[in-house]
Amino acid sequence: MKVGDKLILKKTSVPMFFASLASEMRIVAPKKRFAGDVVFDVVESPKEIAWDYGHDVYPPGKRFLFPHYEDMFSYRTDGGIKIESLAEAPKQAIVGIRSCDVSAVRFQEKFFGEPIEDPLYAARSKNAVLFSLVCNKPPRKECFCICCDAGPYLDKGFDVQLTDLGDRFLYEIGSEKGLSASSEGGYMLEPARPEDIAERKQIELQADSLFQTASFIAKAITYITSDDVPDQVWEELGSTCFRCAACTNLCPVCTCYTVEDRPEGNGCFTRFRSWDSCQYAGFTREASGHNPRPTFGSRVKRRFYHKASYQYITRDGTHGCVGCGRCVSACLTKLDLPSVVKRIRRAMHEYIKSPHEPAVRKL
Amino acid sequence: MIDRPTICGFCSCGCALYVEPKYGGIGALCPSTTHPVSTGRLCIKGWNAIPSLIRADRLRTPLVRKSGSLEPTSWEEAFSTTAEALRRAISESGPKAVGVIGSAKITNEECYSLVKFARGVLGTPNIDGPCRFYDASMVRGLLETTGIPASQIDLNSLQQAGSMLIVGANVMEQLAHVGSRIQDAVESGCKVVAADPRVSRLAPQATLFLHPHPGTDIVWIRALLRTILDRKLYAEGAPEMPGFEELRTSLEDVVMDLLPKTAGVEPSAVIEAASLLAKNPPVIVMFGLGVLQQAGSTKIVRALADVAILLGGSVMPLRGQNNAQGASDMGLAHDYLPGYGSIFDAAARQKWESVWRCEIGADPGLNAVEMIKGCANGEIKALMVFGENVALSAPSTEYTIAALEKVGFLAVSDLYLTETARLANVVFPACSFLEKDGTFTNIERRVQRVRKVLDPLGNSKSDLEIIAGLSTLDLTGSSAKRKVELSNDPDQVMAEVAANVPHYEKVSYQALDQAWGDPWSTNGAKPRLAPVSDRAAHEDTEYPMRLIASRINFHMQTGTMAARSPTLAREYPEAVVELNEADAERLKLRPGTVVKVSSRFGNLTRPVALSDAVPEGCVHVPHFFGGDSANMLAPFDCDAESGVPVYKGLHCVIQKASD
Ligand code: SF4
Ligand code: SF4
Repeated sequence: MKVGDKLILKKTSVPMFFASLASEMRIVAPKKRFAGDVVFDVVESPKEIAWDYGHDVYPPGKRFLFPHYEDMFSYRTDGGIKIESLAEAPKQAIVGIRSCDVSAVRFQEKFFGEPIEDPLYAARSKNAVLFSLVCNKPPRKECFCICCDAGPYLDKGFDVQLTDLGDRFLYEIGSEKGLSASSEGGYMLEPARPEDIAERKQIELQADSLFQTASFIAKAITYITSDDVPDQVWEELGSTCFRCAACTNLCPVCTCYTVEDRPEGNGCFTRFRSWDSCQYAGFTREASGHNPRPTFGSRVKRRFYHKASYQYITRDGTHGCVGCGRCVSACLTKLDLPSVVKRIRRAMHEYIKSPHEPAVRKL
Repeated sequence: MIDRPTICGFCSCGCALYVEPKYGGIGALCPSTTHPVSTGRLCIKGWNAIPSLIRADRLRTPLVRKSGSLEPTSWEEAFSTTAEALRRAISESGPKAVGVIGSAKITNEECYSLVKFARGVLGTPNIDGPCRFYDASMVRGLLETTGIPASQIDLNSLQQAGSMLIVGANVMEQLAHVGSRIQDAVESGCKVVAADPRVSRLAPQATLFLHPHPGTDIVWIRALLRTILDRKLYAEGAPEMPGFEELRTSLEDVVMDLLPKTAGVEPSAVIEAASLLAKNPPVIVMFGLGVLQQAGSTKIVRALADVAILLGGSVMPLRGQNNAQGASDMGLAHDYLPGYGSIFDAAARQKWESVWRCEIGADPGLNAVEMIKGCANGEIKALMVFGENVALSAPSTEYTIAALEKVGFLAVSDLYLTETARLANVVFPACSFLEKDGTFTNIERRVQRVRKVLDPLGNSKSDLEIIAGLSTLDLTGSSAKRKVELSNDPDQVMAEVAANVPHYEKVSYQALDQAWGDPWSTNGAKPRLAPVSDRAAHEDTEYPMRLIASRINFHMQTGTMAARSPTLAREYPEAVVELNEADAERLKLRPGTVVKVSSRFGNLTRPVALSDAVPEGCVHVPHFFGGDSANMLAPFDCDAESGVPVYKGLHCVIQKASD
């Protein structure tokens, strides 16, 4: 076996395969919860894995690599400062994660990796293997990964990629990590036949044609980068925001967090971090009381600059959206990426009166 | 591990969410996608306020006041001290010397048990809920009109509305899931007529936004009703509705031409509102605390219900607290019993006498506001408060605190050492909704299962356990063997509720373990139109400005929770009073100038900020944390019908604090 191999894992062997992997690491996978809800969680037995789960709201890459709440270290102030790391980095396989979420993990690995490495994130991601699951059809109407080059299947960036071929999975090994995680159950894998590869090709073609949401981000990138979108448009967009920050919380790419100390008594404290959001006024308010982003509109603008301006694309290697559609379903209003991109493009037509007139700036 | 969902307890929308216990606190949190309200979405409170339930300063052990200060103690001592004080009060002055105030944040099971405890175990008629400080007028006003003391529709039907009338509600900031559905409706063509003295975040959604003078809602709503009648804009069949003629007669004195003077609204705007609503069915009428805490609130509720009934539409009162509806349903009120049977109705009393095996008199006792007064004048000797920070939610903070200091015995059950708990003789450490099982009933009447996610912190207990625990002691000094049984098992309590409160007949924990809860049925309600008379206008030249009080979206109740969420507290770093620029100029006030806002009943001091959203002649006081709120200025004058104090539209005056 080597990186790049295309193999077959029979569905009858799946429980055995992941049970044998479980001896090396914990298995995190989609689980059915109340009334059809799905969340990724640690499974006790591979039988719990909801292979038909569709999509979930709570991005698994973030949940297990950059947790919502994470204890970082503890310190005591009685009798000299003593600091003790609380970092946790369990060995884990995230099984069934979607292509968009794998792309997002790669984005976060880069963000947290350089120029200064975030040791908590680095340790977690080093110990995690992603077994991604190709979307034979977009699981939700909100999905638009195809516009972001982040799915519904991956050509690179995965550790192991699984494609459902009915009674078996196509099993592609994409990295050294994926390779070593394949060794324990390796005897259950057999080489893929040309028919399997052909069948997979069919699935790709079909999946590509089934998307219901489209987003022409490229044009928005141009307008945003050149600062051509009038502030009036941002303010109009911002006027409907509920300031819930679901857009950034549930975005698998967003990386902002805040830190806080939890008193544990006897001079002991725990420093923990939790997700924070650029959509909060308090996120940028300075100690003087001055806020560089005082309005809802200015904060929405900020979010989209980070998602789609060239300045960040150059640094991060890609724009900050993988098309998972979570901002579409999580936003209490319509400030999701496809809607805002659409609004920006429409606004540019409204504001550019004739092709010779420049776009109106800063109304 | 994320296991079973629970219900968010921070507003009446009642979103379902998953919480992962970790680090002795929480490790993860996400909304349910399949739940009919949350639909994969939470508001700023749902996302941020959960950790504020379990902060380090949570009460972990009972406290008893010993030589002046509150000292940690055992449950046994806390209970026996309470029992002794209650026995003394009752043997010296009778059960009516004891008052019990509950909360709309605790579960249905706890509300029900508390009512049973007060009426059955203690034998006092003085039992009431925080609805008295917020929205009790809606229960009375709607029972007399729509016949349903709750919303007539569920949240998802908002999207189908043709038009909406939204009065006195900062709904976009307070009830995100209502606001979100209003936006959706508007996008599909719904017309919104909004009314608020101040420009709120509803403005981008409104087709027509009226800005009546504070405290004049009854005036322009009567004009609206009159317009609907005169122009025959009502729905087919409306003239056959019971009460139609009485309503028409009661509106004969409406003078449209006087509206600009009496309410600050143009007659043409009222006519436009009437026709927008009539031409775009179905109509939904919503109203919030702006109406419910105004002078004559019950009357305004009736008038708004009349508008809905005439136009063939529905009413959705915007109650804010997570279990406001359930607390009312459970009879947490001084004047009616669980299921809304009046205390003056002998059949209702008999029914509950036989269920509880106790005696219930035809005596409405004291309501929550009167109990506070009773503490001051000695009528109340012992007060028990479960989960409500009355020191801040009652009017005239200074007076209330003095009253609570004066009462012979005060027992408080709460999560934190609130401003009320600090004054207590005994404090019970209650656990939060994360740490107990039960049900909440949301704004749509949906009865929902609250599930224990964490073990109770320290030695805290659920209010259900506290109430049941107390009930086993001798609290009245009577030697007769007590017959009233109080269970500490929420499932069993709900079974008793389901067997006896018709609205809850279909509710069971078993059913709620299979599927999301449903709204209770409104079948059999018989709507009728109620007459609406005018109110006597009241001017106060010494206090020429009008007060507008509001809450912003990350704030709930008295701020006990919000202040403990750094993210929420950070959103609102400073308390200000907002003034129109013209007023600021006239009064020679600059932004940042510290001013004193005074009413006849109290005052508060804050810096000034300018805002176009505030009309001339008004002062806008957003609620702040720790009791810095407009309640400080409110009188003990109440709406005569519902007993709700007047917090909105108060007369006040503003001056530089340094003068
Ligand atoms: S999810 Fe939507 S409503 Fe919430 S903060 Fe983001 S943009 Fe605003
Ligand atoms: S809308 Fe209400 S119930 Fe939903 S998350 Fe916000 S506070 Fe909780």
